[in-house]
Amino acid sequence: METIHLRIHKVCKDFGKVRVLNHVSLDVPQGSFTTFLGPSGCGKTTLLRTIAGFYTPDSGEIYLGNRLMNNVPSHLRNAIMVFQDYALFPHMTIEENITYGLRIRKIPKDQIKARLERTVAYLGIGNLLDRMPGQISGGQQQRVALARALIMEPEILLLDEPLSNLDAKLRINIRAELRQLQQRLKITTIYVTHDQAEALALSDRIAVMNEGKIVHYGTPQELYYHPADPFVASFIGKVNLIRGRIIENRMGNTWVDVQKIKVLVKNHFDHLQPQDEVMLCVRPETIRIAKASEEKEENAIPGVVTNYIFEGATIRYWVNALNQEWVVDVFDPVEVLPPDTKVFLRLKPERIHLMPARA
Amino acid sequence: MNARVREPVLFLVIWVVIVSLLVFVVYPSIQVFLYPSKTDFLKILMNPRYQRSILNSLYIVVLSTLSATFLGFIYAYAVTRTDIPLRKFFKGISLLPLFSPPFMVAFSYIMLFGKNGLITSKLLGLQVNIFGWHGLWFAQTVAFLPVASLVMEGILQSIPPSLEYAGRNLGASGFTLFRTITFPLARPGVAGAALLVAIQVLADFGNPIMISGDFSVVATEAWMRVEGWADIAGAAVLSLLLLIPSFLIFLFQRYWVSRRSYVTITGKITQIDIQKTGKWIRWILFSICLALSLLIILVYLALFMGAFVEGWGFNWTPTLRYVKEILSRSPELTNSLVFSILAGAGSALFSITAAYIVSRKRFLGRRFIDFTCILPAALPGIFLGLGYSISYTRPPFDLYGTAAIVILALMFWNIAMGYQTGIGVFQQISPSLSEAASNLGAGSLRIFREIEIPLIKGPFFSAFIVSFIRAITTLSVVVFIVTQKNVVTTFSIMNLVSDGFYGKAAALTCTLLIIAFGLLGITKLVLGKNVVLFKV
Repeated sequence: METIHLRIHKVCKDFGKVRVLNHVSLDVPQGSFTTFLGPSGCGKTTLLRTIAGFYTPDSGEIYLGNRLMNNVPSHLRNAIMVFQDYALFPHMTIEENITYGLRIRKIPKDQIKARLERTVAYLGIGNLLDRMPGQISGGQQQRVALARALIMEPEILLLDEPLSNLDAKLRINIRAELRQLQQRLKITTIYVTHDQAEALALSDRIAVMNEGKIVHYGTPQELYYHPADPFVASFIGKVNLIRGRIIENRMGNTWVDVQKIKVLVKNHFDHLQPQDEVMLCVRPETIRIAKASEEKEENAIPGVVTNYIFEGATIRYWVNALNQEWVVDVFDPVEVLPPDTKVFLRLKPERIHLMPARA
Repeated sequence: MNARVREPVLFLVIWVVIVSLLVFVVYPSIQVFLYPSKTDFLKILMNPRYQRSILNSLYIVVLSTLSATFLGFIYAYAVTRTDIPLRKFFKGISLLPLFSPPFMVAFSYIMLFGKNGLITSKLLGLQVNIFGWHGLWFAQTVAFLPVASLVMEGILQSIPPSLEYAGRNLGASGFTLFRTITFPLARPGVAGAALLVAIQVLADFGNPIMISGDFSVVATEAWMRVEGWADIAGAAVLSLLLLIPSFLIFLFQRYWVSRRSYVTITGKITQIDIQKTGKWIRWILFSICLALSLLIILVYLALFMGAFVEGWGFNWTPTLRYVKEILSRSPELTNSLVFSILAGAGSALFSITAAYIVSRKRFLGRRFIDFTCILPAALPGIFLGLGYSISYTRPPFDLYGTAAIVILALMFWNIAMGYQTGIGVFQQISPSLSEAASNLGAGSLRIFREIEIPLIKGPFFSAFIVSFIRAITTLSVVVFIVTQKNVVTTFSIMNLVSDGFYGKAAALTCTLLIIAFGLLGITKLVLGKNVVLFKV
């Protein structure tokens, strides 16, 4: 059983009349990598800054270990943050930047030196120590910012979109390094981003946020295959959402009426009752596409290809079926189906996810 | 194709600007250098009066700069970085002196803290002589504290909030945070503010002439040479002594300090969440701000009171005599108003035009225009006024006693501020707007008129207001060039104060204040937030 390291309980925060955090509750396990994911303005950065102690919650509690942190000011928490713009002190050398926090704590000089050497060796920035922040590249600044946080041996490491100022290639490299580093050091880490690919690649757990609330908290796989609602489904990856109504539900077999077509779903949705309005969530890569034949097929929806893009490893088709546009990805494509081709979309019963439809 | 042929209007404008700068900035400045003979310069070594005034100036510049910068920093820090009460009020109060005659502080403190002062004599029953170095130090500290504070507020606000957040997050708080992060980041700005104050204290004429008594500084000594001995050459030598340090500080400021600024613009600006200041610090800072703002408010209160009492210091009967006197006949007020409107408009037009051609065109003489337009900021008023007096009061250019000489001096003395604002604005307006218009067939003049004028209305009016207010409140520029015929209000006030006619002097000063603040109010009302004044 994993131990809970950070517990956020019904936290609310208002900025003026705007409720930025609305009864947020979350348990973060010890040593895990947790990501707050959401569109801009969803409250993810505010939540992070509240954990760092820059904001005090209007109500609710934040516990680190067993300690209530609400009234502990930032400088007395060991919740160290890496800022989006790195916030390196421009009037100090790299070494002074990295050792700043230890010097503030009046750690003995020889210890500072030992920790400095260890940290910079980890991150491969030993050659930069005498430079000023303005004299090093963006990727190097990023490492220095990380070093400045890690040297503190933080109880919890907070990362505020630390990769967003880097170019795409560097971002992918550092992403992998970051994950390895975190797993090696086993520091409980919270990461804020709006980039779903980043979140999927890095995280043990993801908390998807929208309008000041956590809408889904789970592993990347849970979020991807069993999203809590249409917002989560469409925020993570590409998805086809189709309305339907339950016809029958028993023993893990659920039949759904989708505009008079009977679709079988094989996933346990035991809480659903006949006549319930649902939303079918079908990922593009789970659909098979085939030229229409005369035979009647199970779980097949007729449609017409409207457009496609050839991307090498895949072809992405846009298909008009049931009066809406579907996206279908075909891997290892053998032949191309040109626009206006009549097709069937075959849905795999165990690959369909059902969500309660919104009113 | 040659620019002369392709764009004759632009060519003409460039020449008008260059010639005007040569005639009205460069020529009078050079005249001050050329006027004294070798023996006049040797007097610096021989005449003890000169030497004393030089030492006095040095002394008072160091003292006032230190005190104004130190208190200004506390003030700026308190209003931008703490949660003390009344911060908006304090900020507002510190802006008032920027729109007021500089000598006002000295004049008002004589009435409040002098021998017959309202506070010292009437309320406290003390016998105090405010005339001398301590009175001057006091007056200049209060007079220049607002400028220092304004500059440093800007610096403090431009420090990215994430740096302070990071400092706090890594364990620093309270004074440690201030000592290791906030202050080191602000230091270059503080140095800049101190230099700015030093230039202004050194060049200040109004406060010392009123309050320094026998403690003569270089600026007042130069005036004495002319008034007492009709020694223009001596005045020229002394005003050169003013020019050299302020010119050096100006160069230093422009080419060194500005490059060492740490202020960088980072991507995301988060609103800084002001942390709770420690209880003791909070009340100490609050008390300091309260005391300083009271000192500023008192300046105005005393002046308004002074305008309505019969005889300040001995006869406190209320009267409307002085107000009526001013309203019935005061040629100096009319002169001040007319001269300042013309000088302000001329200055705004000239400086914005110069800024336009410098930032948008490439031509021979561009660097000359750029340098000469900023130069007047480094010229002490006394120096420029004397230059005009030497250059334009005798044939071949005899403008003695005319409106023109005053207007031209005030106009060119004020071009630097408008020019710099203009350059800033043109740098922000993308040249591609003009290029698009040009691409669609518009000529230089048409682009200026149809694309850029609409965009520079705001800066133009702020240049006008600033020039107007500086023109109507200055004393140093006009002392050498006004006569009975073209006398202006500040000059009258100086004479009235030195003759002890405080009532009328106060009434005139109040009238200037009403005009300045009235105009400011109207402009803000009409143009809204487009007008940014005194952005340093």
